[in-house]
Amino acid sequence: MPFVPKKQAFNAHINEVVLGVGEKATAIGGQNVLPFHSFDAEIKNAPKIGVELTDFGMSEYTMPGEQAFYAGCETVVDMAKRAETMEGADFLCLHFEGADPNGANKSVEECVALAKAVSDAVTMPIVIMGCKNIEKDTELFNKIAEALAGKNILVLSARDENYKTVGASAGLAYNQKVGAESAVDINLAKQLNTVMTQLGVNAQNIVMNIGSAAAGYGYEYVASTLDRIKDAALKQADGMLQMPIMTPVSSDTWGVKEAVMSEADMPEWGSQEERGIEMEITTAAAVLAGGSDAVILRHPEAIKTIAAMIRALI
Amino acid sequence: MAVKGLDIFKLSPKKNCKECGSPTCMAFCMKVAQGAIEITKCPYMSEEAIALLSEATAPPMKTITVGEHKLGGETVMMRHEKTLVNRNLFAATLCTCMDDAKVEERIEGIKKVDYERIGEREMVECVFVHDAGDSAKFVELCKKAAAIGDRTVIIDTKDVDTAKAAVEAIKDNKPILNGANKDNFAAMNEIATAAGIVLGVHGADLSELHDIVAELEKAGNKNLILDVTAETIKETFANAVLVRRTAIKDGDRTFGYPSIVNLGVLCDHNEHLETALASVFVLKYGSIIVMDKIGYAEALPLYGLRQNIFTDPQKPMKVAPGIYPINGATPDDPCALTVDFALTYFLVSGELERSKVPINLLITDASGMSVLTAWAAGKFSSTSVKKFFDEFDLANKINNRTLIIPGKVAVMKGEIQDKLPEWNVVVGTREAVELVKYLKDGEYKAAAEAAAASKKPAEAKKTVDADAPLDFEKIAASIPAIKIRADLDAHYKQRDPESPKFVTIGERIHCISPVIREAMATFNPDPILERAAQQIKAGATYLDVNIGPAESNGPELMTWAVKLLQENFNNVPLALDTANKKAIEAGIKVYNRTNGKPIVNSADAGSRISYIDLAAANDAICVALCSADGIAKDNEERMMHCHHMLERGLSLGMEATDLWFDPLFLVVKGMQDKQMDVLNAIKLFADEGLKSTGGLSNNSNGAPKNVRPIMDSALVAMAMMQGLTSAIVNPNDLRLMETIKSCDIFKNNELYSDSYLDV
Repeated sequence: MPFVPKKQAFNAHINEVVLGVGEKATAIGGQNVLPFHSFDAEIKNAPKIGVELTDFGMSEYTMPGEQAFYAGCETVVDMAKRAETMEGADFLCLHFEGADPNGANKSVEECVALAKAVSDAVTMPIVIMGCKNIEKDTELFNKIAEALAGKNILVLSARDENYKTVGASAGLAYNQKVGAESAVDINLAKQLNTVMTQLGVNAQNIVMNIGSAAAGYGYEYVASTLDRIKDAALKQADGMLQMPIMTPVSSDTWGVKEAVMSEADMPEWGSQEERGIEMEITTAAAVLAGGSDAVILRHPEAIKTIAAMIRALI
Repeated sequence: MAVKGLDIFKLSPKKNCKECGSPTCMAFCMKVAQGAIEITKCPYMSEEAIALLSEATAPPMKTITVGEHKLGGETVMMRHEKTLVNRNLFAATLCTCMDDAKVEERIEGIKKVDYERIGEREMVECVFVHDAGDSAKFVELCKKAAAIGDRTVIIDTKDVDTAKAAVEAIKDNKPILNGANKDNFAAMNEIATAAGIVLGVHGADLSELHDIVAELEKAGNKNLILDVTAETIKETFANAVLVRRTAIKDGDRTFGYPSIVNLGVLCDHNEHLETALASVFVLKYGSIIVMDKIGYAEALPLYGLRQNIFTDPQKPMKVAPGIYPINGATPDDPCALTVDFALTYFLVSGELERSKVPINLLITDASGMSVLTAWAAGKFSSTSVKKFFDEFDLANKINNRTLIIPGKVAVMKGEIQDKLPEWNVVVGTREAVELVKYLKDGEYKAAAEAAAASKKPAEAKKTVDADAPLDFEKIAASIPAIKIRADLDAHYKQRDPESPKFVTIGERIHCISPVIREAMATFNPDPILERAAQQIKAGATYLDVNIGPAESNGPELMTWAVKLLQENFNNVPLALDTANKKAIEAGIKVYNRTNGKPIVNSADAGSRISYIDLAAANDAICVALCSADGIAKDNEERMMHCHHMLERGLSLGMEATDLWFDPLFLVVKGMQDKQMDVLNAIKLFADEGLKSTGGLSNNSNGAPKNVRPIMDSALVAMAMMQGLTSAIVNPNDLRLMETIKSCDIFKNNELYSDSYLDV
């Protein structure tokens, strides 16, 4: 008797959210099966990859592979234009690390000007990441959402403390997409989606950032949170967890020991760049296998590789 | 997977002959399903039914031994459902297509990756030797692979004669023979069975694989591994998922074997793509992941990921206790102390590294709990720190005498300083992220000098002998006079200790509350009496008295607290709650039993099991936590702990009803899917006639204030239905107390009257 596997497609599906405008607009989510389970049903949209660009520009891109790729770029705008040509890139993520009041404390005006300049120069969808300081991010997101009205950007992200302001401005006033950020906590993830929709933000305009960790650094919590969210969204058809998930990966992975230690300090470990790339790849592949619908990465080689992996699995 | 009584009934003879001893076939089948009676007691049961039952009780996935490792044995698809039990293994490849230099390079590479991470050895566990068509060379290559030592060789050949020669040549290695396919499986089976080794099976597709496995099982071989590698990456992933899902969710045991995935052939030397896919297969059902080569760049993230995924979700990851020099620290550098919870370790060590300040990180055994939790549970105390310093001989191994302790346990500073008089104890930061600034600013240096200067001149230390019998008279004489407050208007009503009514244990006198902690530190009776009065008015049956670790004055403090409460409130019965056993002993000595025996809070089946002995010796009730090291993973484990403690209590002459079993109520936020397990455990206790209790309101920890009483009330009603006989609660929660009183009415523990809520 020939073996025929049972199918496991669900009636519920993940919301499809479109980012950006024009030809380069990109859709995430939409599937009614577990990650890469194309044998259960066709997967509506392949997971997407964003290129992380910090507002500090070239000074933060010290790895030889990064230097080679961005060779000749002087400004973040130059880098953004170059990043659009990167193999595997679907969107750009502007990461305003420099806005942090405890760091470079760049003014909101300066950040808005940069976002505007990049937006004018590129055609790919844009995602905005803040500096993790609640007050500053709230103001930053409001102003950038306003300045980039009509571009259908995603602000990443509103949190428990500021979802009302960010949701009202980015989500309602300027009709952008809004990220809902929780820190590896499924109950909070659902709660944020619930209160944000109660506020009037259309559920179809919300993307979740459920938090992450580098492989080996408490990643089990990330894995189980992803598993449980997909389970609730598809099997229990929980409409408050059906938002697609976007996970910033490179901001975690390039900060851990394996990626930070120089080859001089750890000769037996070999090339630092290679370690950083493999850490970025391992973590990105894991969050995608767990159900993230988009990842934000940094190194051109990691982006190329993850794009190849997605192609091979879809 | 449990088989239902009705499924068995459908296959039963349905003749109601009663020969099995049951009145009807239906009744018999129900008992069989519960495991209460053997199916063979029925002389007329069909073979089909017997087969169904043995199939249903067999594990869904077999456990296979590879070298020193176990593979398979999984019962769930996702780790949060229970746990994944056997971590996957990694293999690097050798091939007859490689020249000698390349082979040597590979072998050196395999040997090089060998390190320890959080107490586990991380290495390339298997060597995958591929036959590209040169039989003699292949056998030589297998020998070289086996000669590396400690690694299981995977013999990858489809040629029967080559396989035979290779297995013969390295049979001591106990290799895996990965070679059975539809054409050769009978011959390969013979070789593998004769050598007693695992046989790898490959099919052109899942249907063919299924057929071959069925044939091999029929021939008696169940020591198999399934090579799910297909032509494409996409199909390989599908195979890995479907094989696992078919076994675990659809109950088809033919696919109940571990898998092997060969990424080397799928990725065509794209090493980065191999890493990406290896990560996917660690999560999704690769048991042996074969890569072309594995260096540190691949091993560090992949092994870290594997270690994370294959941890029990209910057991914390622990780091081995010891001295961890950071940034090239020497014995002349200062020490920073923390607990062995892996996440704490990573956070703290990461920040210490970032500071670039050489420092010795000291990790103490705190059962894998975080700093505050460990402190509250008595696992991180001045005694445990002292023990750690003695065990690891810190005095001789470290010359510097500065000891930085976590800011969160600043309260321990004095006690640690007393126990380690040679050291200068300094309170560090509350959070790890503040460490970089703290160390760079060098604040701790001044603090250490201050600590050194303020130390009392070497007065002859009172040597406290922990095992010395207590001098009760001396204790009684040393405590302050008992203050009586007549103004509190709380009268504890005489109680029949035999009453079947639900017992509430008021939890509000707890040293984790700053007000109470302060009151206990200064022997100030008023805050304690006020909280007691409030709880008694609200209808608490017992009051819990938690005096914290109380290492220095436990017996005095508990004696005082017991007398204070009982003399003020008509001998209100008490639960004595502390990690200091001498304190409990002293408290019981002055305890009045009119309204009920004292409760010892609490024993567990692990390091606190001797609290049962304490309760037995003092004719007390004992709260018995059904856990040993961390939360029990299922009710089988809970019941094992329960019976272990029950036996101990009975052997010491206790009444079974004096052990109140605590299933450990779990937080809904985080462990929602385990709530029914806890409720079912209560039923299991009740079915055996045992009493139960627990910190019920833990379920709603972290929930909004207005929601908690609703959740707690619903849970107590469900739990009382299951047979819960007591709970440790906040009696000031009116909704909860009214729910409990109502449940007592329904359970017929109390006769109904219109004003039952006021009684």
